[in-house]
Amino acid sequence: MSAQVKLLTAVILLCVIGGGLASYKSQKLGVPFWQDKRVDEWLVEAKLSFLATGNDVEARLALPAKAIDEKSGQESGSLGYHYHVEPSGGEYTALWSAKNRENAQALYYRVRFKAGSGGGGGPIAAIGVPQASEVPKLPGSLGAAAEGLASYAKSVTSNPDALFVRFFERINDPESSQEYALVRRYYEKDYFISPDIAMGIDLLGMAGVPARIAYGVKLNEDTGAQEPLPLLEYFDGYAWKVRNPAEPTKVINGNEVFVWQRGGGSLFEVTGGENSNLSFTVVRDRIPLASLTDLQDSPVLIATILALPVSERSVFRYIVLIPLGAFVVVLMRNIIGVPTLGTFMPVLLALALLEIAPVKGILMFSVLVGAGLWFRFLLSRMNLLVVPRVAACVVIVTLLMMLMSVVSYQLGFSVGVKITLFPMIIIAWTLERMSLIWEEEGKRSAIIQVGGSLVVAVFAYYFMKISQIQYWAFYFPEMLLILLAGILLIGRFTGYRLSELIRFKTFSNA
Amino acid sequence: MPEATVIKIKEGESDASQARWWHRWFRTPQELRELGVVGINMRNARYLLPNNPRRLYELVDNKLRTKALAEERGMTVAETYGVVLTPHDANRIEKILAGKDAFVIKPTRGSGGKGIMVIDKKSGKNYIKPSGAEVTPGDLKNHVSNILAGLFSLGGKRDYALIEYRVQPAKLLTDMSFQGAPDIRVVMLHGYPVMAMLRASTKQSDGRSNLHQGAIGIGIDIATGMSVHAIHHGKPVTHHPDLGIGLIGVQIPQWDTILKMAVTCQEMTGLGYLGVDIMIDETLGPLMIEVNARPGLAIQMANGIGLLKRLEPIVEQHRCKPEADLTAKIAFSKKFFRAKLPKPRD
Repeated sequence: MSAQVKLLTAVILLCVIGGGLASYKSQKLGVPFWQDKRVDEWLVEAKLSFLATGNDVEARLALPAKAIDEKSGQESGSLGYHYHVEPSGGEYTALWSAKNRENAQALYYRVRFKAGSGGGGGPIAAIGVPQASEVPKLPGSLGAAAEGLASYAKSVTSNPDALFVRFFERINDPESSQEYALVRRYYEKDYFISPDIAMGIDLLGMAGVPARIAYGVKLNEDTGAQEPLPLLEYFDGYAWKVRNPAEPTKVINGNEVFVWQRGGGSLFEVTGGENSNLSFTVVRDRIPLASLTDLQDSPVLIATILALPVSERSVFRYIVLIPLGAFVVVLMRNIIGVPTLGTFMPVLLALALLEIAPVKGILMFSVLVGAGLWFRFLLSRMNLLVVPRVAACVVIVTLLMMLMSVVSYQLGFSVGVKITLFPMIIIAWTLERMSLIWEEEGKRSAIIQVGGSLVVAVFAYYFMKISQIQYWAFYFPEMLLILLAGILLIGRFTGYRLSELIRFKTFSNA
Repeated sequence: MPEATVIKIKEGESDASQARWWHRWFRTPQELRELGVVGINMRNARYLLPNNPRRLYELVDNKLRTKALAEERGMTVAETYGVVLTPHDANRIEKILAGKDAFVIKPTRGSGGKGIMVIDKKSGKNYIKPSGAEVTPGDLKNHVSNILAGLFSLGGKRDYALIEYRVQPAKLLTDMSFQGAPDIRVVMLHGYPVMAMLRASTKQSDGRSNLHQGAIGIGIDIATGMSVHAIHHGKPVTHHPDLGIGLIGVQIPQWDTILKMAVTCQEMTGLGYLGVDIMIDETLGPLMIEVNARPGLAIQMANGIGLLKRLEPIVEQHRCKPEADLTAKIAFSKKFFRAKLPKPRD
């Protein structure tokens, strides 16, 4: 079989498998092929983990009442546990129980709801008229100070909402008043977790407004596993309302925060286990629940990454983009003919740009490479051997990054701080390669190659950024086989590169 | 029928050479095809990959092995003064160099002229480079250590430093070059000489002979060994930009020896598509310097002829007569790749 035939067979095979799986998914399982047909849903996963001590285990987790009332998609995952949901007074609690458990345990509860359907922070009518709970007396002069603050605030505000705003504006800004700062210091000493909220609840209580703690989840895919977000629920005379004490003037935005638990009970309780911990993972799901369930029950070949738990799945958001970047590199190098520094350095750079913002990222990269290069030439005057020189380069880049992070933070940009290990390695490596080329082939080729890499990285970045492309890569990973077929075809392309049309423009017959 | 192929290609070149407004910016793919220009993709896919098996690269990427092979075949190469294998030897470099005033240090696995240090003479304790720069024994040791650490080798692998005879290029050639030693590159396919060029450095190229760094490429007629065409930065020139000396119509001495050397290099390495670099020493004559398994495309610019016009007839000839020997191959190339000769320079 000639190479040509082998190639064509492979290409056709890849296209058939990739296209076949994709069309099976979209036709039979109803996964939307175009992203504008998608539904926008949030999937929030609560993971309750603890170390069982060998006795009977009972775990309770407060559930978002709104999701259950509106019959949103929900499921719980836990091997070998008895599970049921217990309603009580408008709130719900999930209850898992099992006998004789040992070692690390993890219980999952997932809930799905439409994006923009409200965060569950709206007013709910109270049963009866709740009374402000008895506020513990603060010691000595602190008690008097707190009482004074509460009664003064009550006299200058007209309703509980305004009271809430007044209290938290002052608690969040300790420099505004000495009394607040004094009382706050007492709470900081006594309450390890969210002293602000404890103080707010007590002050509201002193002013006669019933208040209690609530918990929410930030609707942000990028944070990975997150801790429960403490919120505050207070009674305004007619209904219970939830607000985020960090932003006291705003009503909770359903696109940013999802209120998981209200009602003032405990968020979770574990008996028969220790070191219990609750964390949330949030992903934005773009295909309907019914198709997703079908998909997850399908063979691995079809389900692919969607068969994974949510926390693991979010890792793949970036990984599935790497082949797309590689494709852009092949296109730019073999069809256009852009010179780059190393073959896949632009892909890594593009991934780094996904982590930082592109403009700031490129600015940062240029500054670091420029400064690093200058130091590198200082080093080369000392005639250091290769390995120590590269190591010195890494140290210098690290220091430069620290400096840059501090400076940009001081100036009020937060990008600098986000630079992680990954972009750092790329920059150190780029420096070494670039300075070598600078010495061997002159500054022109060094600058051309680094510039070329940047251009390719930016193209790869924008290609990876197209949301339709991201959607396909994530929900139809088998389409990457078609991409692979494309790369194979380019591998046999024997035509001129675009850059060669310019290179040979002066070609003259002898 | 090689003759027929040659004639057919010559017929097609009529309108590609006509001037068009866009030639200031680019040429269309169709024009380039008519000129027979080979691009990187085509070189790789059609000539490199099918003809140069990966395992043979080791023979040419390692200069020690290439030299050993060449000596087996009775080829003249630059005499090896010594090889530095370990950092320990690097400390004793002066002992290896005892009594040698002119020499070249190069990495055995270097590419593109990286890491080559040429020393012309000694002055007291220090060594003098052709540019006049002084090199202390400490600098020398450092350079050798960098070579051993793999700074200049492909993929940064550990490497050895080769110390060898400093070629004293023939005066005819040094006259055409601003510093640096001009070398001759012959590109071969299946053992047939395809094209040849002389690379001369300029002030701008700083003693290096890479065309994209500003060196001059001088095309040489395969049949006679006379220079026929020259380019600097892709544009035709007739005189050296720094030295003012004429570049066209120069007869390269011992041309037949050079062609035989090139064909022998192909036979000993087994590579189908390769470039052979040769220098001409004032007293020793042509010396084989290195073999390159990935020769570049600038040679077609230097000759003003598309490589495809010569590669295609060779592929055809090789298919018809796979058993042709050295003399038959040289005779074929001389017969069909004869260029229109210019008036001799003097």
